Amino acid sequence: MSSKSPQGPDNTTRNLVIGMVVLVVAVGAIFSVLGNKTSSSAALPSNVSKADGYGIVFNGDLTGVPVVDIWEDFQCPVCARFEQTNSAYLEKIIAEKKAKVVFHTLSFLGTESALAANAAACASDEDKFLGFHSAFYQNQPAENSGAVTVDYLVGLGQGIGITSDKYKSCVANLDYKDWVNNVASSGAEKNINSTPTVLVNGKEIQRATSATDLGQYFDPAAFAQAVEGN
Amino acid sequence: MKKALPWIGLLARLILGGVLLVAGYLKAFTPDKSMMAVRAYEILPIWLANVLGIILPWLEIGAGLLLIIGVGIRYAAIFGSAIMVLFIIAIAQAWARGLSIDCGCFGGGGTVDPSKTRYLEEILRDTGLALLGLYLLRYPVTKFALEKNRSQIRTPSQGE
Repeated sequence: MSSKSPQGPDNTTRNLVIGMVVLVVAVGAIFSVLGNKTSSSAALPSNVSKADGYGIVFNGDLTGVPVVDIWEDFQCPVCARFEQTNSAYLEKIIAEKKAKVVFHTLSFLGTESALAANAAACASDEDKFLGFHSAFYQNQPAENSGAVTVDYLVGLGQGIGITSDKYKSCVANLDYKDWVNNVASSGAEKNINSTPTVLVNGKEIQRATSATDLGQYFDPAAFAQAVEGN
Repeated sequence: MKKALPWIGLLARLILGGVLLVAGYLKAFTPDKSMMAVRAYEILPIWLANVLGIILPWLEIGAGLLLIIGVGIRYAAIFGSAIMVLFIIAIAQAWARGLSIDCGCFGGGGTVDPSKTRYLEEILRDTGLALLGLYLLRYPVTKFALEKNRSQIRTPSQGE
């Protein structure tokens, strides 16, 4: 059918090209799989519990209290809304030791999420995780706009009273990069398919179904009831 | 008409190959999101969905490259059509079960607001792409492909 060149290139060229494409696919896939494996040697920030999916745990020593797992991404706008709705209550039940609260900082929205999650871990080392958490969400920059940089995160830390050089180098050197990956893998294993996903005692609270039905996520009273009703 | 077939084939290769390449590229470097997209269909066991979420984008890139360069056309076309059919089944079952997810075809994915699902559109698009693959399977000799003679365009199933 091919009128001009019935021969075409020899089979060597053809096989070489196929071989190269296969190589690209194999190398890419292998690197992706390895990059996503949980690293058992990852440096862990303080308050992290491997048993709780590498989350940052508050009141981990309490028993017989509700366990609240919050899966979030620092760049997700709905997570900012959840935080604004419920952070006062969450900080209260943490301070009053009424619940065990675990924050899982996912990073699927992009590299800026990973930078922020790493910085949050650095802040946890300074016992300022909650401060970082609410400060970040209060001025959440637009998703992947390039606003979240090392300087930005260092400045954010200074705003909440973290001035140590350790924090700066921790943010700049991505000290907890592997931990950030481990949190992501843990979310994948636990079938977390959107953010925020909030579980109370392992069971997801009720989602909002419309602008008027806020579910248990965006109605502070309903959220408090979801936590305490158990 | 016969003269037009290789030109239609070229178009089919570039469209199907281009879509696969772009779709793969957009997902390959955000594996967390891609894994989430596959899990959200709620068909596969979680571990398998996660593996597929990592590997599938690379396979799409591979098939896309083969189609655009024009080697192994029939293999790539079969793969392209087969995954489109699987996507259609996956999307249709999500629709039928009332899940609200984004197909995650070009990145994104996961659970979305019910008003943001676009199942019909996604199914129609994938049907069109699957048909392009079938066309290439039937008429694999195309313009500007690296492999030109019929002996090189091997038939996976039967020799012609």
